[in-house]
Amino acid sequence: MASKKMIKSVSKGGLAHVSSSRFTINPKLARRSFMKIAAATAAVAGIGLGPKAVRGLRAEEKKDAYPGSKIVRTVCTHCAVGCGIKAEVQNGVWVRQEVAADHPISRGGHCCKGAGAIDMVTSEKRLTSPMKRVNGKWQKISWKQALDEICSKLLEIREKDGPDAVHWNGSAKVSNEMAYLQRKLAAFWGTNNIDHQARI
Amino acid sequence: MAGVANTWGYGAMTNSMNDIRHSKLVFMLGSNAAEAHPVALQHILYAKEVNNAPIIVVDPRFTKLAAKATDYVRIRPGTDTAFVMGLVNEIVSNGWHDKDFIQKRVAGFPEMVEVAKHYTPEVVEDITGIPASEVKRIARLLAIHRPGTVVWCMGATQHSIGSSNTRALCILQLVLGNMGVSGGGTNIFRGHDNVQGATDMCVLSHSLPAYYGIKDGSWKHWCRVWDVDYEWMKSRFHSKEYMNKKGFTLARWYQGVIQEDKISQYTPIKAVVFWGCASNSQSQYHKLKKALDKLDLVVIIDPFPTMTAAACEKDNVYLLPSSSQYESEGSVTSSSRQFQWRFKVVDPVHDSKEDYWIMDQMVKRFGFHDKFYKNIKKIPDDITRELCKGSLTIGYNGALPERIKKHTLHWETFDVDTLQAKGGPCDGEYYGLPWPCWTETHPGTPILYDISKPVAKGGLPFRARFGTEHTYWNGRKENLLAAPGVYNPGSEVKGGYPEFKDIVPGTNWKTDLSQKTIKVAISKGMAPFGNARARCVCWNFPDQVPVHREPIHSPRPDLIAKYPTYPDKKDHYRVYTKFKSEQKPELVKKFPYVLITGRMVEHMGGGAETRSNKYLAELAPHMYAEISTRLANNLGIRDGEMMWIESPEQGKVKVMAKVTDRVDDKTIFMPYHFGGMFMGQDLSGNYPDGCRPYAIGEPANIVTNYGYDIITQIQGTKEGLCKVEKA
Repeated sequence: MASKKMIKSVSKGGLAHVSSSRFTINPKLARRSFMKIAAATAAVAGIGLGPKAVRGLRAEEKKDAYPGSKIVRTVCTHCAVGCGIKAEVQNGVWVRQEVAADHPISRGGHCCKGAGAIDMVTSEKRLTSPMKRVNGKWQKISWKQALDEICSKLLEIREKDGPDAVHWNGSAKVSNEMAYLQRKLAAFWGTNNIDHQARI
Repeated sequence: MAGVANTWGYGAMTNSMNDIRHSKLVFMLGSNAAEAHPVALQHILYAKEVNNAPIIVVDPRFTKLAAKATDYVRIRPGTDTAFVMGLVNEIVSNGWHDKDFIQKRVAGFPEMVEVAKHYTPEVVEDITGIPASEVKRIARLLAIHRPGTVVWCMGATQHSIGSSNTRALCILQLVLGNMGVSGGGTNIFRGHDNVQGATDMCVLSHSLPAYYGIKDGSWKHWCRVWDVDYEWMKSRFHSKEYMNKKGFTLARWYQGVIQEDKISQYTPIKAVVFWGCASNSQSQYHKLKKALDKLDLVVIIDPFPTMTAAACEKDNVYLLPSSSQYESEGSVTSSSRQFQWRFKVVDPVHDSKEDYWIMDQMVKRFGFHDKFYKNIKKIPDDITRELCKGSLTIGYNGALPERIKKHTLHWETFDVDTLQAKGGPCDGEYYGLPWPCWTETHPGTPILYDISKPVAKGGLPFRARFGTEHTYWNGRKENLLAAPGVYNPGSEVKGGYPEFKDIVPGTNWKTDLSQKTIKVAISKGMAPFGNARARCVCWNFPDQVPVHREPIHSPRPDLIAKYPTYPDKKDHYRVYTKFKSEQKPELVKKFPYVLITGRMVEHMGGGAETRSNKYLAELAPHMYAEISTRLANNLGIRDGEMMWIESPEQGKVKVMAKVTDRVDDKTIFMPYHFGGMFMGQDLSGNYPDGCRPYAIGEPANIVTNYGYDIITQIQGTKEGLCKVEKA
């Protein structure tokens, strides 16, 4: 029970808000390992588990890696400078991020957006499932239903009004590979009605 | 970028963030890098502190970057070309131009000078509001401190003459001889993390990947890469005409729905897919919102619902949760043309899916999966391979996935000053293999158009892209190839030469998929794309030499007569686009203030990501507009009070006043990252449960005005008019 409560408080941002450690909730991979961490943290702190059971990292925890964790090098998504990020990942959970002091462009620099990169994954505001609006209300639907309905509607429009009746707005936030597929998709769909943020 | 590409070959940043460390002067126009590219600032401030480089910031607003400048120049929005051509004129009239460089590597110089002569310091003062003495002083600084670099962002481009602004800045660097050298160049800081890469991949309505324009030859090239039959591809289109016709743009696609301006397409738009793209970054947002409610189908693919989900009020909308950038992997191209591998940090959270998976599922349902994924088995690496294979124009072909990963995994081995690896597995290569990276062993091109290095080691001349000879309006004929004596070390030809072709009969360096042509050129010490002059005159542009034209909505009726805008353009990316018919001298009487928009350090783009980040939302929770002390006092508005800002298109927003003299008495500034409000109405209830961002506010783009660039159709968000009232 207590552990469950703890998870709830963490997932609502309680822990991350006060402490300099951060936990990613990845429901598929990480629930069990996360509970272990939560339990261990509470035991070390010697306090009961509850919504307020948070504390800062101890010196050795700041210095040492999370047990069994690995560092993943990645690239910040908030502008085109290309700052490096070192993500500390434990059992499939992004537990902490570090600046990349040895990155040739950013050299350990981060703006507030880059420093909050981890929140792209941890944010509670993320969409959790496909949705459609029905009678003015959002309704959760399965991926299969969503894709079936969207694609058959698109095909119907293509059939009836022609391929140029669909406009595709792609992205400057996806990888080169994905951006390339977006352009290729428009070509195979049969239109040049595709554009992205570089235009504006 | 069109202006830049049309000057010397490629539309990209020529040097790099790090290379600014070697600049003797940094001239920044329409860039607020301190907020938009904060980490780049460490290199700029290095130049300031170590090289004693003047940092000149030209902006209508005293930005956070201006606070770091040695020289701040306040300019009237929309008059950049007049100022920069004024600098060119001042430099040339004093004989400070680099005569040797111009004689050998520049075309159309005398013709350009004739046009620039109009922009005397006094004329510039009248147009721009910059004192004539300042024009002279800045020109002198530019002449003394060489090499200097020129930096710009959307402040230069989002204008009806955006393409002229960028060309004028290129001309300034050519005149000073600052191109192709370390510390010089045009360093265009790009916004989104992969906007350079997505542009290179041409998620654009006028081009196929790697800037192969939508013409028969380009389609045939990519059909060869995709291994599909050209005739089949043609059959996918409404007609061949539409296959080769530029499509709608992000700036104006919604006119394809609401048709307030006449469209040139056989059907209106019935469905729109936003795939990682905010809608509140588009101007006249209240009109876009009309389109959302008129469409049969709106699909939003994004980790967050975005403002678009809240703006849709009909049952025509689907949300597909894609995973975030950190839950997927692939290469990204920085502003400095460097590839980095964005490794996947964690698997997709919740029930989100990688974009690659969503694409696969959609393509399956569209019925062309076998053709689409013919060469692609392993994702994403096989996609990288395929795009590299076809993207010969910009030399993506040498940046294979294993090389990109190796660089990212050994980023610590690269030197901060040269960006070259010192030892280690990437020894001698430049970080991220900056394109063009011509072969599998090429080190990347750290500085474009640098003739001090062999092509095989990262050197290049200007690209031969505009023919070999041109006759100007005055009858003068000029050879467009570089002068004798201009060549990269080791070049077989000791002067200008055209692009390589017919090494493999019937192909050129851009279409020879065997890459033999490129390899032959490199082995001769030569650039595959030729060795030519950069152009001061673009004969394919409506203004062959950049000239000032008043913004579509101008606060200076007296100048409209003297510097009118262009005639209307009937089929501008499939939609009638008003220029002259929209430029009304009386408008300023009702809408007396100039409206500009820009970025804040705490937020990004449409703000869906950053306003959903609790730390950032706490740092910057409120939408606001900057208004000067004098104007606020005259209107009886106090700091923190609400005010209405209204556009000539009847868009209006209710925002908090930030009384500050960062702006002058005629100018209103707003950040454009907010969403979730609409003309005074709170749209919180329109978000899916629990998905309303922590911070919401009016999108500034509800009040950004009509007005688009004559070439690219970029929206003119930095030069509109508005009126202001206390709420």
